[in-house]
Amino acid sequence: MKQQVTITVNGTTHTNEVEPRLLLVHYLRDVLDLTGTHVGCDTSQCGACTIEMNGSAVKSCTVLAVQADGAEITTIEGLAKGGELHPIQEGFWEMHGLQCGFCTPGMIMTSVNLLKNNPHPTEAEIRHGLEGNLCRCTGYQNIVKAIQYAADKMSAEPAAAGDD
Amino acid sequence: MVASSPFGSSIKRREDPRLITGAGHYTDDVRLPGMLSMAILRSPHAHARIVNIDTSAAKAMPGVVAIYTGADLVDLVAPVPCAWQPKNSDIKVPEYRPLAVDTVRYVGDGVAAVVAENRYMAEDAAAAINVQYDTLPVVVHQLDAMKDGAPQLYDSVPNNVAFHFHLEGGDVDAAFQKADLTFKQRLVNQRLIPNAMETRGAVASYQRGSNELTLWCTTQNPHIVRFLMSLCTNIPETQIRVLSQDIGGGFGSKIAMQAGEMIASVISKDLLRPIKWMEDRSENYVSTTHGRDHVDDVEVAAMKDGRVVGLKVTAYANMGAYLSTAAPGVPTWLFTVTQSGAYDIPNVASDVYGVLTNTTATDAYRGAGRPEATYLIERVMDLVAKKLNLDPTEVRRKNFIPSDAFPYSIASGAIAYDSGDYDKTLDRALEMIDYAALRKEQEQARAEGRLFGVGFSTYIEVCGLAPSAAAGAMGFGGGLYESAVVRVHPTGKVTVLTGINPQGQGEGTTFAQLLNGELGVPVEDIEIVWGDTDRIPMGWGTYGSRSTAVGGSALVFAARKVRDKMMKIGAHLLEVSPEEVVFDQGSVHVKGAPDQVKSFGEIALAAYTAWNMPEGVTPGLDESYFFDPVSNTFPFGAHVCVVEIDKDSGKADVRRYVAVDDVGNVINPMIVDGQIHGGIAQGLAQAVLETAVYDDNGQLLSGTMMDYAIPKASSFPNYELDRTVTPCPFNPMGLKGVGEAGTIASTPAIMNAIVDALSPLGVEHFDMPASPQRIWQLVHEQKGN
Amino acid sequence: MKITGKHTINAPRDQVWGRLIDPDSIAACLPGVETLDKVGDDEYSMAMNIGIGMVKGTYTGKVRLSNMNEPTDYQMYVEGSGRPGFIKGTGTVRLADGENSTTDIEYNGDVEVGGPVGAVAQRMLGGVANRMVGQFFGCVESKITGE
Repeated sequence: MKQQVTITVNGTTHTNEVEPRLLLVHYLRDVLDLTGTHVGCDTSQCGACTIEMNGSAVKSCTVLAVQADGAEITTIEGLAKGGELHPIQEGFWEMHGLQCGFCTPGMIMTSVNLLKNNPHPTEAEIRHGLEGNLCRCTGYQNIVKAIQYAADKMSAEPAAAGDD
Repeated sequence: MVASSPFGSSIKRREDPRLITGAGHYTDDVRLPGMLSMAILRSPHAHARIVNIDTSAAKAMPGVVAIYTGADLVDLVAPVPCAWQPKNSDIKVPEYRPLAVDTVRYVGDGVAAVVAENRYMAEDAAAAINVQYDTLPVVVHQLDAMKDGAPQLYDSVPNNVAFHFHLEGGDVDAAFQKADLTFKQRLVNQRLIPNAMETRGAVASYQRGSNELTLWCTTQNPHIVRFLMSLCTNIPETQIRVLSQDIGGGFGSKIAMQAGEMIASVISKDLLRPIKWMEDRSENYVSTTHGRDHVDDVEVAAMKDGRVVGLKVTAYANMGAYLSTAAPGVPTWLFTVTQSGAYDIPNVASDVYGVLTNTTATDAYRGAGRPEATYLIERVMDLVAKKLNLDPTEVRRKNFIPSDAFPYSIASGAIAYDSGDYDKTLDRALEMIDYAALRKEQEQARAEGRLFGVGFSTYIEVCGLAPSAAAGAMGFGGGLYESAVVRVHPTGKVTVLTGINPQGQGEGTTFAQLLNGELGVPVEDIEIVWGDTDRIPMGWGTYGSRSTAVGGSALVFAARKVRDKMMKIGAHLLEVSPEEVVFDQGSVHVKGAPDQVKSFGEIALAAYTAWNMPEGVTPGLDESYFFDPVSNTFPFGAHVCVVEIDKDSGKADVRRYVAVDDVGNVINPMIVDGQIHGGIAQGLAQAVLETAVYDDNGQLLSGTMMDYAIPKASSFPNYELDRTVTPCPFNPMGLKGVGEAGTIASTPAIMNAIVDALSPLGVEHFDMPASPQRIWQLVHEQKGN
Repeated sequence: MKITGKHTINAPRDQVWGRLIDPDSIAACLPGVETLDKVGDDEYSMAMNIGIGMVKGTYTGKVRLSNMNEPTDYQMYVEGSGRPGFIKGTGTVRLADGENSTTDIEYNGDVEVGGPVGAVAQRMLGGVANRMVGQFFGCVESKITGE
């Protein structure tokens, strides 16, 4: 019944036997104990579970662990490198882009991907880019500012972008 | 960082480094050896008798450890308590079992709890339980439920009316007789689903031997959970530890006792295994409390000049299928005492009916009663202006309580406003929006046939509910003081224990700023601790925008006790009398001789080694304080919303939003702005996006985030904020409160703007939600006429 | 959830009537029916496999036909429950002679779903119900015209 998967998460390769129906988010949280990725809904609306898989932002509640076999995944835990915050993490901190923090990991992972695809977004493009992520606390105003902060910083020091 | 003033510094939040790196610790992140997962089977029917529950097939499924039905729990746990029972309201509290015993009364009522090795197994087994129901007639709407012949939820609650509450002041009938203008209006405040991003849940672990229950749960008030859990389970409070560190949003929906927390606790005790229960979102939508759901009939008496002289309100509040923990207080006290808003209305009478229906229970939701009241009075101001052909700002100014009238007692005498200067916030808002130019722009837009509107909300809110004696008089089953401990360690680092329990409001930072202001200790040397009933003295939690005004004040008083003791010890070490020293920037020095000084660290060490203490001074530097304010505090402000409605889509677009708030003294402006932003978005969302919809059978049609419209990043524009400062005179730092202000203010502001935009079509009132579909319908019906 | 609609079957009314109330036609034509057994006068127990939105599952329950006024109208009651929740529907079916010996069918009813399926599938329900009704009448028609 169980199937073997090999998945690289934050640079470490894991091989596990999983049930075919196990969701990727539960694999990350319950098998690998990476609890930074959150579950906020059952229907792929809220984006709290967003991770980066093979270079794309993916809602890990909508992917089975077996579908991620062979994939390269980055979660919120793997974003800061060598103790250095990613500019987007820094932006969220500087601009007060979070309150309760529950949506934040998914929001940050989506933002990483947003800036990768569009390094100089307008405010409208940022707001549109966040359509798949819900935040109940901030009213989004400071999240937008956080991403603008990161965009400015990343374009000023392209080496610090950190998405290797 | 050493600051001399605790106010005005936007330091970055100390909570954030954990939260932005995925190192937060929410309830679902708790993992214990041997932990089982619990799933609750919930009723698919809104009203039915349970004929039979067959768990045999489910019990035989892999991984299943135990299954409990309502009958199995009767001896283990008492009914879910209702802890706010307003006096003089003839309240009838029906029995609400954590799992239904004979009858289910709403879609989502718990029927059985399955405990299994993991969640997948628990849910599989729950689905395999065979329940036979005998369905009963259903009633969903409060006005239907009150009618003769309506389906009855409980024999003990005739006509489903759980309570009738009345509050009045002045002579309302006389006011209506002398008035130039009287009119009636029905206002509907629709049902909302709170949608904290983290659903409710708990991990309960009962230890054999110590007989101690450790309960991790996502609550706004861990001490209330411990108190009520003890009463419901007969586990002594000394043996219950409630832990609640990171909370993924609350918005009022994490105040009430949750049946799931109680069930997990007693099953853990029964099985001696840790139990985790986390709602999924669909479950959250039916099992966690909803908000609002009022129908308000208002009658207004006004004079020609716009003065409102009388207000009669009859409110019908849908309480759902049972009375949740704080629910009856919301439409009664919290609603009625703010009904007059910022206005001096001498004659007011309110009647509130709390009605039971076959729906999920309602309880506090961000603002709790005050948004309903503010929506009502702010719509009334606009209606008066419209009917008398006056400017809405003029009518408001005509009715404002003058700034020299504080403390101001409302007509019923039930409550007194602390301080305010309502003209000042309105002046500033008009200046920011450039009101004259805006009305010209509107004239131009109208000439072009566009629907362009301007709306105001000059709101007040009551927060820091107090004193505890008043809470008792209102039937609130607890106190409303707050506790703080300031514990200086021998190395000079400081731990603060606080009875509040934030869910993202930033007290981990602002309380450190407050303490820094009092003791001069660098912020980075201060640890703020909440959410652990074993460490923290009794406190009442975070809701009602009370944390900083009440909890922050408790902290300040505890800090001042520490400071006084440090001055005694410092003076002794400096070999002078305490009267001869000053406490300055964290150190104690001799007056006029700053070089004769003992540092914070030196005094802390001296206090703990206790080798050389002054006469009569005990060792240690560890002080606690319970602060019970003498009165409430009333933040206020003026919000202006500019909308343009697209006739083709019916969408009301917010063009500008200006908010000038007065929340008293401000510790961290960045955090206060963040509270206002989020609050405004939530209030706007009620007006134009959100609504919980039931069909006539009691099925929740808006049962997922696909169907319930939570605002997205693109829903609203940036808000333009400013502030005035009118300190509260009843607490040492002049603090008011900010958590709910934005939500309370913004709903009426945008609705007034939408009605203003639609007024060329002859519209005087429009109910929420002003969704594109409903506006489009109205616009096209008008065209058809 | 209300469903209403019309359908024209290219066959005379008495033939259509016969098919509509015939358990074998119901079993053959109602989408997803796995078993249909007579348990009483015009009452049948049934197992049905239905997918509503993303929730697919088997429902067991019953079908009852009542108030039969041959060949003008009757009422139909369907209920089923299973792991995804429950489905319940009542409706009236009216038959009238159409042009060129066709039969005009008019139906209106009320469908309720509850339980887990209710939470996620409510807004799909109208489409699913109408599609199923359409398939049913289409199938009945092909049974008659194919004879």
